[in-house]
Amino acid sequence: MSIQEKIDNYKKTLSLFPNPQEKYQYLIEQAKFNDDFPENLKIDEFKVNGCQSQVWLVPEEQDSKLYFKSDSDALIAKGLVTLISSIYSGETANDIVNSEADLMEEFELGVILSPARRNGAFSMLKKIKDFASGLTD
Amino acid sequence: MNVSEIKKDFPILKREVNGKLLTYLDSGATSQKPNLVIDAMSDIYKENNANVHRGTYVLSAETTQKYENVRNIFKDFINANSSDEIIFTKGCTEGFNFLANSLTKNLESGDEIILSEIEHHANLIPWQMAAKKHNLKINFVKIDKNFNLDMSHFDSLLSEKTKIVSIVGESNISGMLTEIKNMSELIKSKSNAYFIVDGAQLVPHRKVDVQKLGIDFLCVSGHKMLGPTGIGVVWGKKEILESMEPVYGGGDMIEEVFYESATWAPIPHKFEAGTPPYVEAIGLGFAVEYLNNLTMEAVEEHSNSLRDYAKSKLENVEGLNIIHSSSDIAGCTFAMSIDGVHSSDMSIMLDTHGVAVRSGHHCVQPFHRKLDLDSTFRATGYIYNDERDFDILATAIEDCVGLLK
Repeated sequence: MSIQEKIDNYKKTLSLFPNPQEKYQYLIEQAKFNDDFPENLKIDEFKVNGCQSQVWLVPEEQDSKLYFKSDSDALIAKGLVTLISSIYSGETANDIVNSEADLMEEFELGVILSPARRNGAFSMLKKIKDFASGLTD
Repeated sequence: MNVSEIKKDFPILKREVNGKLLTYLDSGATSQKPNLVIDAMSDIYKENNANVHRGTYVLSAETTQKYENVRNIFKDFINANSSDEIIFTKGCTEGFNFLANSLTKNLESGDEIILSEIEHHANLIPWQMAAKKHNLKINFVKIDKNFNLDMSHFDSLLSEKTKIVSIVGESNISGMLTEIKNMSELIKSKSNAYFIVDGAQLVPHRKVDVQKLGIDFLCVSGHKMLGPTGIGVVWGKKEILESMEPVYGGGDMIEEVFYESATWAPIPHKFEAGTPPYVEAIGLGFAVEYLNNLTMEAVEEHSNSLRDYAKSKLENVEGLNIIHSSSDIAGCTFAMSIDGVHSSDMSIMLDTHGVAVRSGHHCVQPFHRKLDLDSTFRATGYIYNDERDFDILATAIEDCVGLLK
C-alpha cells in the first residue's frame, strides 16, 4: 500500500467518528495497541522535539525500506505518532521524502493537528523525513 | 459582582468550541478583552492614528495626548508618585530584561540576587544572563510544603551582599500571595537591595499600592488584565529610574545626538526607544478604566470567593492532585495533575468539552522538576468566570479521567 493509500484508509476510519472526542478515543486505542517499545531506546537521539509530551521515534532500515517504532508518555500523542509511524513504515527513503501528503489537512484532528509550525505532528513528520533524507542520495 | 452581566461585555465568551459554549479558564496565560478595549483600539485606527511625539498636526497631537494620559491612569491605578515613573514595555518579560540589564551594570563580582523557586522564566532567565555576565550569585527562596514562600529561609538569605530581590507577587502555579510588605521591611533592615515585584498575576486581581507596599519596582503585563498584547508597564521609583542607564537606544529616547555620542531624554522617555505601541497602550488605559469601574476591591473579593469555591469543588474530584497555596487567601489559580494521566491528554480532552485550560510547565520548569512532575494542567479564574465554570471543569475532568485511564 502506498503512503497515500494508507493515509486515505486512516482518513476513512477517522471520518467514522463525527466528534473530536471520539477521534481522540480512536487515537487512544491505537496507542494502547502499541506497547512493545524498548525502554532502552528512550534516549535523546530518538526524541521528537517540539511536542508537549515526550515522544520517541526510532527508524530501522530493512531491505532498503524504513520502519519506525514509536512511543510517548501521553496517550493522544502516542496514538498520533503510532498512526504516522504506520503510514511511513515499509516505504523507501525516496518515497518518504517525496511524499507531499498534508496530514494536518487530511485528518482534521482539531487542536492536535492545527497547522502551526511548533506543533507535535509537524515535528513527528519532520523527524521521519529527516531520517529518510539522510538515507537518500 | 454581577458576573453574568460582565460576561456580556466579552464577545469571545459567546463562542462555541467543539459544540459547547466556551468555558475559558486560561486567564493566567492571557485574559479576554471587553468590547470597551476592542472598540477603543479600533476607534484609534479609524479616527486618530498618527505617530506619537513628533507630529505637529491634529491627529498626532490627539494620539499623543491619549497615549501619554495612560501614564496618568496607570499612575493612579497603582498609586505611583508620578506619571514619569510609568515606563511602557512590551510586557513583564521585557520589563525584567530591562531591569536585569540596567540594574546589574554597576554590580560587583560576588554580589547577590534573590529570587524564589517558583519564579516564572521571565523573572529567572534575564537574571541568569546578567549573573553570568557580571559574575553574580543567585539565591532561591524555598517554597514550603504548603506551596508558600519560606519566609525564614528568605530571612537567612538576606545580607549586605544582596543587591536585588525579585519575587513573584501572585504565583501563576500555586496562586500563592507573597507577603510583600513583610519582605520589603526585612530587605530594608538587612540590605540596600532593590525590591522588584513580578505583578503579572497580582495586578490584574488585586489592589496594588506601590507606595504602601514599600517596593522599588513593579512589572506588569497588560494582556493579563483585559488589555491588548504587546504592552506592559514597569513602575520604578523616580530617583532610582533617574539614576539608571537606558538599555535600548534609538529614536524618541534622546535629548541631543552627535555623531560620536548622545544625551538621554528625561524619564520615562529615556527608556522607551523607537515608536511605542501607542494603540496598545491606549487599549491598556481602557482596560484599567474597565477594572476601575468594577473597583479593584470588588475584583479582589470576587477572586477570593471564586478561589474558595473552586478549591472545594476541585478537592472533591477523586485522584486530583492540586498544587495550591494552603493560605486562607490566594489567587484563583490551580495547577493540577492526576497520577497516570498526562496533562496534555487532559487539556486536549477538556477542550472537547469546550473547556480551555493550559498544560505544560507554565514557564516554571525548575519548580515542576522539583515536584518531580513533567507537567501539570492549570485552571485560572478571572472576573468573567463564575462558580458554574468550575462546576463544568470538575465534571469534565471526571469524564476525561474515565477515558484516559
